[in-house]
Amino acid sequence: MATTSHSFEALPHPRRSVIPASLLQWLTWGLVFTLVLGPFLPLLYASLRDRPLYETGGVFTVEPYRELFGDRVFWHAWWNTLQFAALTTTMAVALGAAVAILCTRTDLPGRKAFSRFVLLPLLLPSLGMVLGWIAVWGDGGYVTSFFNQRLHVGVPAIDTIFGMALVEATRLMPIAFLTCQAALVRADSSLEDAARSAGAAPLRVLRSITIPMLRPALLNSATLIFTLSIAVLGLPLLLGVPNNIQFVSSYLYTVWTNASSPDPGSVSAGAMMLLLVATLLLLVRNRLLGAEARFVSVGGKATRVALLSLHNWRWPLAASIALYLFLTTLLPVLGLALMSFVVVLTPLIAPWELFTWSHWQTLDDGVFQNSIRNSVIIALVGAVLATALVALATLVAHRSIFRFRRTLPFVLLYPRAIPGIIIGIGFFWAFLLTGALGDWFRNSIWGIMLAFCIRNLPLAYIVMYPTMARIGEELDRAGRAAGAGWWTTSRRIVLPLLRPAMFAAFILLFVELLNDYDPAVFLVKPGTEVMGATMLSQFIQGAVGPVAALAMVQVLVTVVVLAVGSRVFNLDTTGGHDA
Amino acid sequence: MPEIAVESLVKTFGEQRALDHVDFNVRDGELFTLLGPSGCGKSTTLMSIAGFQRPEEGRISVGGQIVFDAGRGIALPAEHRNLGIVFQSYAVWPHMTVAENLAFPLKVRRLKRNEIKERIAQTLELVEMEPYVKRYPHELSGGQQQRVALARALVYSPSVLLLDEPFSNLDAKLRIRARSWVKDLQHRLGLTTIFVTHDQDEALSMSDRIAVMSNGEIQQIGAPEDVYIRPANRFVAEFVGRVNLIEGVVSVVDGGKVVLDVDGGRRLTVDSIDSARVSERLTVVVRPEAMTLLAADDPLNGTNTWDVDVHATAFLGDHYEYELEAGSLRLIAQTSRPLDGSRIRVHIPGDACSVVE
Repeated sequence: MATTSHSFEALPHPRRSVIPASLLQWLTWGLVFTLVLGPFLPLLYASLRDRPLYETGGVFTVEPYRELFGDRVFWHAWWNTLQFAALTTTMAVALGAAVAILCTRTDLPGRKAFSRFVLLPLLLPSLGMVLGWIAVWGDGGYVTSFFNQRLHVGVPAIDTIFGMALVEATRLMPIAFLTCQAALVRADSSLEDAARSAGAAPLRVLRSITIPMLRPALLNSATLIFTLSIAVLGLPLLLGVPNNIQFVSSYLYTVWTNASSPDPGSVSAGAMMLLLVATLLLLVRNRLLGAEARFVSVGGKATRVALLSLHNWRWPLAASIALYLFLTTLLPVLGLALMSFVVVLTPLIAPWELFTWSHWQTLDDGVFQNSIRNSVIIALVGAVLATALVALATLVAHRSIFRFRRTLPFVLLYPRAIPGIIIGIGFFWAFLLTGALGDWFRNSIWGIMLAFCIRNLPLAYIVMYPTMARIGEELDRAGRAAGAGWWTTSRRIVLPLLRPAMFAAFILLFVELLNDYDPAVFLVKPGTEVMGATMLSQFIQGAVGPVAALAMVQVLVTVVVLAVGSRVFNLDTTGGHDA
Repeated sequence: MPEIAVESLVKTFGEQRALDHVDFNVRDGELFTLLGPSGCGKSTTLMSIAGFQRPEEGRISVGGQIVFDAGRGIALPAEHRNLGIVFQSYAVWPHMTVAENLAFPLKVRRLKRNEIKERIAQTLELVEMEPYVKRYPHELSGGQQQRVALARALVYSPSVLLLDEPFSNLDAKLRIRARSWVKDLQHRLGLTTIFVTHDQDEALSMSDRIAVMSNGEIQQIGAPEDVYIRPANRFVAEFVGRVNLIEGVVSVVDGGKVVLDVDGGRRLTVDSIDSARVSERLTVVVRPEAMTLLAADDPLNGTNTWDVDVHATAFLGDHYEYELEAGSLRLIAQTSRPLDGSRIRVHIPGDACSVVE
């Protein structure tokens, strides 16, 4: 055949990349390692010096540790923190698992909508939500007063350890929900069908098959929730400290801000201890998990999920979940909104008589305006950069033969376990030690952006990795066989296919970076304020109204971005939130 | 056109030895098949040739160029081996049209726009897919995607074509059509091809030569007829087609003929066995379709004709299959016409028997 012979003329060799793939891979790996692990070395160093690092003549000492361990308040703070974390974990996991089972394995009315709305507390700005809780459920809050004065029944106080655990549990419950939901979706429902056929009643199936199957998911989410609740800062600062309850994080924050000599070593020592605990918990969690099992696998055949019938319990249970969402999510948001429109927060006078625009007008100037602008810039730029870096790192980790690729997933997930304040203190010292570059970071919003980004790298990774894992490896092998190098194959084949996940990661990162605050409290300077840090400092100074208005800005932006994001692309990949 | 030389490949995954000194040569223009059960190392071998696996030992050369040599630390990256490969999943890039899929390797090779267009048109004509040039993969059937994958592997004139179980995702009818179509195309292009499959029918019908693999080792290399009629060992005999294994002790060696004493006092005379010794134990293989079934009262009697019990029969469309019992021996035989009765006779032609290790 004429055409055939023509078709087999020799072709020129494929062009080689200008930049060798291995250089790009080394750079990515080096950048991720430096950024994630970099801040901890200065932290360790600072905890072992007798004076702040910027002062000359410091010598090695264990004095900061001795000082810290000698402080009875510190140990009391640990005891409070552990009680709080244990209570939070128990409540969040029990609730999350129950709602997950109801939404995936029963004929609960509205289960699809519930599985979406139940995630909201995790994505809403946590600091703002605490304010909302105070407005509604706090001592003298609207609902509390209503119950006390009209119904003459008490509601649990939220400024106790139990109360704070309740607030935190409603925020972290979605983590348990997502993990259990993923496990249930993954699990073959024919296992349950088999039990039904063998003669077991639905409740028996639930008890003997479904819940035991969930055990790994329960353990996994419990460890994560415990780790996250140990590190909570806003809650003890706003609710605990006024009632004389210190947590480790608030203790460190208070010592840092009130210290007679600036930047005491004992705070670095305390941060090291917290880091150690968080790292141990992460290692325990990795032990509990199969290496890959931590990820939601959406792929696979869509099997019909057999539904257990709830019969008469259908509507009462649906109503309870709706009521739960109303009380813990909608009411605090409404309370927050109200708080931003009244002169003083009091249930004694009708709110419309106290109506004012002044809090919202305050946002237009000074520190508030600065904070909003800085936060939006940080969220936008940071989300783009972090998405790009994690996409590249995920490629190196899972789509290359780079020598140290297997170390990347651990490092990418590591910040998940690290309390935000530790990242803050770590970067504070790191910037101090790195000369002109550090100064530039320290004196601009980019330092805060860096700290926020590092803290949220795991989120980007756990959103992108499952999608990457589903892109068949033969697709990029086909690219290589066709003559394209690693980078061309990645750029032309893998990354375009990863685009939906990259977009989802961008949206979630934007929201998280916008609302993040705890790493910033150690880094803010006049001019580099961000919303969360400003809310915290202004609230402590008593500017409640403007802080509520600022929190409402966060809530509104968050809700709008999530709504638009999930319309443009189905954001169900938030399933990754469980890792 | 080149030949492929694979020398002494060794690859281990943890404790498991995936390749154990794999050696073979593929001749110019030949369709060479690696056949074996899953986990036998055939895909690892193919991926080593393609450059996606790196064995610990051995050498691979394609057309005289060494692409891999463990001893000298040579491992040419996959993209510089200039091989065409069709994957089991086809791996047609879902975000590109058919034309874009085919254009990718050409763009990487910096061809001019009109050359790219021309080559795409020619290659699509070759696989009879010209009307689908603007389609996306999800708009194509499995068979069409496979043709696109093949076209993409051919469009840049690779020196060698590698096919990794390309038919396993097609339904049974389409698979048989695709076989002859691919074979015909390969023959027309005269393209040296390595084909990996676990399906013996595919291997037998398409290959010039077959290498049967098991546990990371090559068991036998030969033309389809060789492998089928004269299997080198028990594994090959059992894997390639259905087979009867008859064990016996040599009682007479007479020129080209050997007489075996089989269990239950039966005797089997086998043609042409080299170097058999009296009282040696041998295993003989006979294909079910080589045996002749006779009625119990059939006048034909004598050498290699045994009385047997019918254990079970099955109708398989174009033939009947009989499970027979001769004492403790179980035999399978095929016949085109059914026989009555629970006791019949079977005749085993002496020239249909071959000895395996």
